[in-house]
Amino acid sequence: MTSRTGRIVGAVEIGTGKIAVLAGEIARGRRLNIIGVGVAPAQGVMKGEVVDYRAVCEAAHHAIEMAEKSAGTRLDEVWLAQTGGHLDGFYNEAYVNVKSADNTVTQLDIATVCALAKQKELPPGRSRIHEIRRPFRLDGRALPNPEHLTGSRLEAGYWIVHGQENKVSDNIHVIGGYHVEVRELVLSSLASGALLTTDEERQHGALVLDIGKGITDYVLYRDGHVLVTGTLPVGGDHLTNDLAIGLRVTTAQAESLKLRHGRGTVLTRDKTDKVWLNGDKSFGDRQLTRLAIETITAARTLELLEVVKSRLSSAFSPEHCGAGVIVTGGTAKMSGIEEAAQRVFSLSSRRGEAPEWVKDELKDPMFSTVLGVFQFGLLTASEHPQSARRGGLLGSLTRIFSS
Amino acid sequence: MSPPSSPLPAAGRSWRSIPQQVNPDALSSKGRRRRVLVWVKYSVLAGFTVAAGWGAYFAAHSRENDRTALSAAVRSGPVREVSLITDGTLGRKWVTDILAVPANTSLMALDLTALRARLLTQGQVRVAVLTRSFPDMLVVTLQERMPVARAQIETGVGKQPRQLLVAKDGVVYEGVNYDQRLLASLPWLDGIKLAGAGGGYAPIAGMDAVADLLSTAQLQAPHLYRGWIIVSLARLAEHDELVVKSQDIPEIIFTRREDFFRQIAQLDYVVDAARSQPEAALTLVNLALGGQVAVQFDRPADHFSQTHPTITIQPQKKGKRDF
Repeated sequence: MTSRTGRIVGAVEIGTGKIAVLAGEIARGRRLNIIGVGVAPAQGVMKGEVVDYRAVCEAAHHAIEMAEKSAGTRLDEVWLAQTGGHLDGFYNEAYVNVKSADNTVTQLDIATVCALAKQKELPPGRSRIHEIRRPFRLDGRALPNPEHLTGSRLEAGYWIVHGQENKVSDNIHVIGGYHVEVRELVLSSLASGALLTTDEERQHGALVLDIGKGITDYVLYRDGHVLVTGTLPVGGDHLTNDLAIGLRVTTAQAESLKLRHGRGTVLTRDKTDKVWLNGDKSFGDRQLTRLAIETITAARTLELLEVVKSRLSSAFSPEHCGAGVIVTGGTAKMSGIEEAAQRVFSLSSRRGEAPEWVKDELKDPMFSTVLGVFQFGLLTASEHPQSARRGGLLGSLTRIFSS
Repeated sequence: MSPPSSPLPAAGRSWRSIPQQVNPDALSSKGRRRRVLVWVKYSVLAGFTVAAGWGAYFAAHSRENDRTALSAAVRSGPVREVSLITDGTLGRKWVTDILAVPANTSLMALDLTALRARLLTQGQVRVAVLTRSFPDMLVVTLQERMPVARAQIETGVGKQPRQLLVAKDGVVYEGVNYDQRLLASLPWLDGIKLAGAGGGYAPIAGMDAVADLLSTAQLQAPHLYRGWIIVSLARLAEHDELVVKSQDIPEIIFTRREDFFRQIAQLDYVVDAARSQPEAALTLVNLALGGQVAVQFDRPADHFSQTHPTITIQPQKKGKRDF
């Protein structure tokens, strides 16, 4: 095994279709080096939620072990991507009158308004996942940091993401079952958004859609900040089901058809253009019109995107989303998905591409969430300094023995 | 900008307050294996830390005892004085003679371990600690053995027998600087065989019992102890019995199987009772018969029984304080 000097962190995504794990070495707090990969087909997960603990553990632990083996070391901690239909968010804001006689904003004013803005009680059984602050407003001026500036009324607002406590806890316990601690919980949409958009794009406004097998996560950025996040319990599985019902084929055959011939928009005009159901011309194999397949997948895709648009409601406006729509996730591999997004949101659209620093083998959209978990975790690491607690001599000695 | 610390309590639970510890049953086989590995890892880590600490201590200690290194580090001169601290009778001259440190030897050049071993070959020395007191003094701290009895050995025809002392732990040695009155008060040992060992004599077995008897007698019945002349160990190994010859009674038999305090109390009672019969003297008191005491007088039994009733000794029921 190779000797490691940094902290070994695992980014884990427990998705409906697959469980992806990346092992990364974080050196000097900020520098990330991906050293291991593990992927396993998900079992016991439905729409991003754990429904069979043992089955999920089996799959997740296999993926983690695979990542550890390829990394040649063991994980010190896990940063876990969180998704699921139980997640929700709301915006809460508060204001304070600046206290000092000369109207100069102090640290105390900022701390007070931030605390007030986060004070909103959650319904019973809900847990906070993220508290994402939007820019401060001092007498109506949007400011990143109002300290030492002059004004009389200071406002702060937070987008608070929360989830069903028992469902969040189920996900955490799956990792706990491997005897490793979850140190960060990152919303899947925020993870994908952090990876696939640049600061500039976020500043111009961007909508990131992560369409997975059972769940669609989205995040809308404006003025460089997160405006809205959300989760829809709809994903690629629904396209498969519609194909299975519409074409009277099995789910496995429908999944195969979707992957081979599914499109986000209808391209085919020729009604006689046919494709083989199984493709091996074996007993039971038959021909289906390509148009039928595309019609079903496109209809469902457009419907899904329309639902996202309606969820965003007034938060979304094309003029505040200059960077357009970025689509990622396993279902984003389907052709024509960008055109569908372009049509629904009336914006330029593209498939999310991992940044240059990502190795070629990790550029597949199925890794965007786990890669984004690292990206987002590193960006916000300063907010949770306890993440770096395994330093010093003991940490080093521990790592020596770990390796 | 780093988030400012909140002056208000946070509302609602954060996911961070969810306990992460899972029930051991909920651990998968991989999780259990990992947990065992973590325990092993920390055990090894702890072992490594302890070993490193011990190593550091050992290294430091070695350096401390490294005379060559230390002589360079500290200023030391030839040994000018030997200082003695003792709890016994040995004097500085005796110690200096035994150590025989050559003149002009540097204090740092002294091999303290060898010098200590030299002192410990002398039976009178029980514990010896030698320390350097810079720049030129050697400090010797001794704990000495105390004699509990004397032994006499023949040194040859026509020669004066040699007197040796015996300590509680059985070590036989020639006493130095003892008060002659103290030595005269010690009883002689009989029934022992001295075996040579390492230029001296091997320790005498059973001396712990003798020391116990003598110290009990000395403390609880000094009037009896003063008259004791010889303590014989001849029957100790076989019968667990010590035989004392005193000025008044030729044979007093004790057993080490029972408490010496009780036996001495019985002896005191017998002696007191016998004193009321001035016409008959005790020749034997056997205290090694369990609760009974057998006595023997120098007159025929019939003559004695005609004039005096039998001496009856009740089993001792008094506590030590009542004696």
